Amino acid sequence: MAIFANPSSKNSPVNFGNNKVVTETPKTMGEKISDIVFWFLRGLTVINVIMLFFPTFNPAKICEEISRNLSLFTCGVSYDSVTTNVGRALTRGWLPEEAFKLLSLSSIIIILACVVLAVGGCMSLGNVKLKKIGVIVSACGGIIEISGLFGLNNAKTLLENAEKPEKAGEIFLPDMFYAYLVIAIFVILLSVAIFFMLPKLTKVMKCEMEGKYKLFLMMLPFVALTFVFSYLPLYGWRYAFFDYKSGETLTMDKFVGFKWFTQLFQNAATKKDVLRVIKNTLAMSALGIGTSWLPMVFAIFLAEIKNTAFRRIVQTFTTIPNFISWVLVYAIALAIFSTDGFVNTFLTNNLGIPTDTNYLLSSDHMWIKMLAWGTWKGLGWSAIVYIASITGIDQQLYEAATVDGAGRFHKMWYITIPELIPTYMVLLLMSVANILSNGMDQYLVFSNAVNKNSIEVLDLYVYNLGIGNGLIPMSTVIGMVKSVISVILLFSANGISKLVRGQSIV
Amino acid sequence: MNILSKGNRTMMDAEKRNANKPMKIKLTAGDIVFNILNYAFFTLFTLLCFFPFYYIFINTISSNDLVRRGLITFWPQQLTISNYVAMSDVNDLWGSLAITILRTIIGTALMVFGSALAGYLMTKQEMWHRKLWYRMLVITMYFNAGLIPTYLNLNMLGLTNTFLVYIIPAIVSPYNIILVKTYIESIPGEIEESAFIDGAGYWTIFYKIIWPLSKPILATIAIFGAVGHWNSFQDSLIYNANAPELYTLQHRLYVYLNSSSNLGAIMSSSTGGEIGSLAESLNTKVLQYTISMVTIIPIMLVYPFMQRYFESGIMLGAVKG
Repeated sequence: MAIFANPSSKNSPVNFGNNKVVTETPKTMGEKISDIVFWFLRGLTVINVIMLFFPTFNPAKICEEISRNLSLFTCGVSYDSVTTNVGRALTRGWLPEEAFKLLSLSSIIIILACVVLAVGGCMSLGNVKLKKIGVIVSACGGIIEISGLFGLNNAKTLLENAEKPEKAGEIFLPDMFYAYLVIAIFVILLSVAIFFMLPKLTKVMKCEMEGKYKLFLMMLPFVALTFVFSYLPLYGWRYAFFDYKSGETLTMDKFVGFKWFTQLFQNAATKKDVLRVIKNTLAMSALGIGTSWLPMVFAIFLAEIKNTAFRRIVQTFTTIPNFISWVLVYAIALAIFSTDGFVNTFLTNNLGIPTDTNYLLSSDHMWIKMLAWGTWKGLGWSAIVYIASITGIDQQLYEAATVDGAGRFHKMWYITIPELIPTYMVLLLMSVANILSNGMDQYLVFSNAVNKNSIEVLDLYVYNLGIGNGLIPMSTVIGMVKSVISVILLFSANGISKLVRGQSIV
Repeated sequence: MNILSKGNRTMMDAEKRNANKPMKIKLTAGDIVFNILNYAFFTLFTLLCFFPFYYIFINTISSNDLVRRGLITFWPQQLTISNYVAMSDVNDLWGSLAITILRTIIGTALMVFGSALAGYLMTKQEMWHRKLWYRMLVITMYFNAGLIPTYLNLNMLGLTNTFLVYIIPAIVSPYNIILVKTYIESIPGEIEESAFIDGAGYWTIFYKIIWPLSKPILATIAIFGAVGHWNSFQDSLIYNANAPELYTLQHRLYVYLNSSSNLGAIMSSSTGGEIGSLAESLNTKVLQYTISMVTIIPIMLVYPFMQRYFESGIMLGAVKG
């Protein structure tokens, strides 16, 4: 068992599975060819599954009144979204409801067919027996898909024979209908071809799969989720090159190239806005970085307190604010600083100084105020990593220093701080890499009409611009530029870290 | 693991060590001044962190009349729980509470299961193209397409204005997966080996061996994940803006805080007839305070349990594979 030769290796505690290949019979010619053909079949399957989710590839858009923004998947899942534009025509009986129901049902059938195809594709990773079953499943998937397409065709005929077909706009079979048809036919042909290429099954053969593929299939859902939610959004970057308004459909005649990018630097109003926002972002990040040593100092001085119970209490209560949301922090800010909040009532009722200032409705010192709230929320929590490090410092160092006559501050300066600096450096580099991303929750909850100009950071600006004002292309452009710069910053910080400390932070 | 290399010993160890140390011979005047200032600072900061919660709380349990006149400053007077009872009339609030509890439970459960399984799979060197999938996962921690493309993507998938948008995108959490992976790698490989020799498959090994053995780290990510779900507000704000019935508790609170002038209207619309009495007994300020307390209390309840996981929890921000 040579695989177990190095069980203590940290990265591979156990490395088995490769030895699970049971039959090592040489492959026949047909099997070798089928291995190549399989890649086409799997490729078609993956493409087909992906196409389900893109509105561009919707074979169910059989008339003008079905929105261009619907994917086949949405058509199947939500009947309401299919009929949004023809609701009136349906209730008046101008268009047959059956047509749209049939359309939705056919969409579900095609989705089902894609699931079946995917199952067949997964099975194709196994041994000959699994492969044979897999191609049968794939062929079935193809047939189901064709029947679904047949249903779509019937829905179209139903629409054409409606009382007032013109209410549905132009009725046609979209190009994608034929694309799906071609894919389905190819899938069936390839499956049948592979079926005859594969060697005959022997009775004793069992369904088996190599460990590496089994593991891959177990991982596949996670890979798919990552792809869908983290990589697929990149497809949205195309909006940066179009003249697009929220809710419209994207067509090639709205292509504007780099118009939004140049406008970012040429349009005086936009430029002014962006500069102001960048100023806020950089200022607040810089203040954050400038005070990033506070948690370290907090931890060092807390360690000087010898009363354990007191230290526990301090740690408990200073950490709580980290676990409440920014909305709650804002609720607290209101309770303390608003017109009838604690500060005003205390001054008025207890000290006899009548005031009713709303401290939250002012744009003075906004950067400092935001820093203060950030510190209030995060200081105790950020200190924990340093507290843990301090407890790990060898006590003999301190004893030796005491013998040598070092005072309290000497020990802090010459022992504790040098021990904490590596941790500090990593966190510092990370915050430098995140200089453009201060998040948006904090600034969103605290922003109002009065302080908007001095509180708006890049993330909040993108939100206000894109979601608030519906300027999707411009906010996409800013988001793109931000993402790219952030990555460059991160890699620079990582490079510096490697150069200086010989360790990467990423 | 570079950050915590020195922090592995717990606080308890350090305290024991300190206790064994010989007492200081004599405190100098400088020491005394330092101690006084040090204690004073920490007392002050602790009060600063604690007082706002206390202030809001005493205002919710005191007579509304006194609260309105701003007379409740340091201790509660004329105790009453009528505010909390009156909360039951704010219909929107209970919907949001239910949504938030549901997403916290379902979201956390799926996230923990997903992180455990994916973390385990990622330790398997023999997986087909393991490195590729691992890199694909890790990159997402440092790079994202941006807010608007993400929104448009979820919109395209038909997830906006649904409950699922709270759950599905959060199942795969690269940080937690790496955390679990690192933890599983520290479990002696021999255990898994022997199970494999006994004929256990990947699934059996996963839930008979890996799952029970990695419970400490799973508890950590569960508790931090749950707090994250409870506190989340951005996804509700951005993706479910047009579905008020799906607002999370934090989002609901945000709406209430921002429309304080309309709170009376909210109350009256949700209670129908008895506008007068409720508007009388509940002024906007108290309503805000009470909803804030309802939002904070669950966090406070789990907080003592969470403290156990702080040491491993800081790794959430520090460990990089």
